[in-house]
Amino acid sequence: MKRRQARVTRQRAALAGLTAVALLAAGCSAGGGSATASGASTDFSGVTITVALPADSPPAADLAAFTQQTGIKVNWATSDWDSLQTKISAAATANTYFADVTNVDWSRVGQLGKLGWFQPLEKYLDANSLKADMPQLGSFTLNGHIVGVPYDSSYMVTTVNTDLFAKAGITTMPTTLDEYTNDLKQIKAKGVVEYPLNIPFAAAEGLSTYWYETTGALGGTVLDASGKPQFTDPSSPGYKAAQWMVDAIKGGLVPPGNINVNDSQGEQTLMAQGMAASTLSDYSGLINSLYNVKDSSKVTDKIQYLPTPGVTGPAGNLSNPDGMGIPKQAKNPAAAAKFIEWFNSASTQEDFSGLNGQDKVWGSSFIPSRISVVEKLAQAGGLADGTHLAAMLKTASPVFPQGAPTWYPTFSNAVYTNLHAAATGSMSVADAISAIAEVANQQARNG
Amino acid sequence: MSAPRGSARPTPRAHDVGRGVVVEGDRFDGATSTPRPPRRRLDALPYVLVAPVAIFIVGLALVPAAFTIIESFFKVDALDPPTRFTGIGNFVEIFQNHTVMNSVANTAFYVVVGVGVSTVLAIAMAVLLQHPFRGRGLVIAILILPWALPGVVEGILWSGIFDPNSGLINGLVATFHLGAGNAVLLGQNQLLTLALIEVVQVWQITPLSTLLIFAALQLIPDEIYEAAVVDGANQWRSFTSITLPLARPGIAVAMVQALIATLNIFDQPYVLNGAASTGASVTMETYFISFQNLNFGQGYALSLLVALVTVTLSLVVVRFVYRKVEL
Repeated sequence: MKRRQARVTRQRAALAGLTAVALLAAGCSAGGGSATASGASTDFSGVTITVALPADSPPAADLAAFTQQTGIKVNWATSDWDSLQTKISAAATANTYFADVTNVDWSRVGQLGKLGWFQPLEKYLDANSLKADMPQLGSFTLNGHIVGVPYDSSYMVTTVNTDLFAKAGITTMPTTLDEYTNDLKQIKAKGVVEYPLNIPFAAAEGLSTYWYETTGALGGTVLDASGKPQFTDPSSPGYKAAQWMVDAIKGGLVPPGNINVNDSQGEQTLMAQGMAASTLSDYSGLINSLYNVKDSSKVTDKIQYLPTPGVTGPAGNLSNPDGMGIPKQAKNPAAAAKFIEWFNSASTQEDFSGLNGQDKVWGSSFIPSRISVVEKLAQAGGLADGTHLAAMLKTASPVFPQGAPTWYPTFSNAVYTNLHAAATGSMSVADAISAIAEVANQQARNG
Repeated sequence: MSAPRGSARPTPRAHDVGRGVVVEGDRFDGATSTPRPPRRRLDALPYVLVAPVAIFIVGLALVPAAFTIIESFFKVDALDPPTRFTGIGNFVEIFQNHTVMNSVANTAFYVVVGVGVSTVLAIAMAVLLQHPFRGRGLVIAILILPWALPGVVEGILWSGIFDPNSGLINGLVATFHLGAGNAVLLGQNQLLTLALIEVVQVWQITPLSTLLIFAALQLIPDEIYEAAVVDGANQWRSFTSITLPLARPGIAVAMVQALIATLNIFDQPYVLNGAASTGASVTMETYFISFQNLNFGQGYALSLLVALVTVTLSLVVVRFVYRKVEL
């Protein structure tokens, strides 16, 4: 009897073990299967998609309206820009799912398009109607395939704290970089603030962007059409821009602590707190979304956009649009496409930008990507400092007019690590420029 | 039947067991052999029970490890297909890459300081916790908190503490009039940056080391200490002659876990100091090479080197620190 009981117990245990193995296998199998695209089903009831963007979620009412229209529930995951780029690469190379909709940055379109990590959106969306109203769609198109749809058309712009400038006796805003530098020195000399300029010197993407914008302000570009560096000559705009930035921190215009401050930290802890008087390369739309928000800012109504000071007068601005696309491993690409279509429709962008009431405003909406919405917004006076913004939007141009090279992330890493090192004093500007150029040349040679 | 005359019985050897050699005391009968015991049926239960773990280990450790070893000898670059054999090319490139070599030096600092400091602190804390006192359970629960937090969360928490503009440390410095209160703690000076990053990691890994050593100390009978007191040993002598030797298994395990954590440090330098060379670790460079440059072959090669160093150093620690203790 005892033997029989023991055998029964063993059989049960064996069954339990087999069940565990079977469950494990089923789990693995389900994981693998779920990573596969589910096809273009149009029945979305009960479908949940994950949207991962470097921005806070739109108001719940907006997303609820989308769910009501389509049956698709949205799980919104906010992540900072740099981390999100990592997630995109890691998930794509591991061939695993992490989101149905995620960020497509202009700077990575070349790489993402070549690698085929994102679904071609022309399969799901009406490309022609989008093109007509979204001038920056071209920055997200590679070889005829739409890698992403821009959800804002922001660009780099100079911001100034007019109150701090006025306290230093400056009433006429600078139009050249020399005037701008002298004004900042005057603000410091008069003790208005100890460190008037914000440059985010942390070794992160924001530092690269700052350098591109400063190079543009000095009338240059960093790479030519074939990817060759244009900044190695000490008289070149790129070299001068790097020198100007490093001189600014060494000369006491930039807080020494900015060596480890990234772009968003600089906006929040320096500009928004009234501790810095200006950011040469700031993001358009921040007056709406940060500087004029009383809960997070001490400088409401004091920040003004300024055409980026150039060599002899205002320079052009670099466009910095953010887009969204569908990763190859998305579980529900059709539902994701539906979301992108809704998110970037004229009516939704109008809601996000406040044209239909404050309850639908999306704080992370800087400048709508649809020209028709921007025009409506400007007419309605819904764009803070809209006159300046509208004028500058016309001169905004891409960092790489010929399209970002496929090796852009490697290049950018070289830019921000070496400029950071030059700012710490561990290497000279000449050495930093030389190291950046070496990476660019090597990558360009490899194609 | 007896054995043939004149033939000597061979001396049985250990390796002969199981080959039909009869050992002393057995009866040998050429005509009738002893009936074999009934063959045992194969019992599948142990295999079934072990199978899930075995599948996990094979699937998540051995297969990727084999894959890494093989691919490290190939040029695997998503932007430069196709995959092709390069021999030791990836390894040569790694050793010629000064950024990687800088990260090796940084990581060496993390390992030496991290393992040393965390082990000393863990021994000290384990000794303090060795004898029961009121609230010891609560202290242990609080102690474990840093270990339970994800590295990224710790990085963000400490970046607030180290922030030059609004951080806690500079705030305290200003409050107590010890300085201007805007000192740059991270990023400017490489040694200071490395030290502060490692402070954060030591804060994280010490709790587990403490618990491992504490567990070893719990096995030491009080009688040994009592006998030492009777023999006239003071507290220091008891510590050096009883506590430390008998805690060596726990100390060895604690050191190995600290070694693995410090060799693979990523979250803390990345969150606190970005991609800057002042604090970049080898695993950060592995990540940049693999996921930013998409040069996976070189990434595999660097991962393989890190794994080999980890195993080698772990064996060294076990060889020199671990001692079997029987109480």
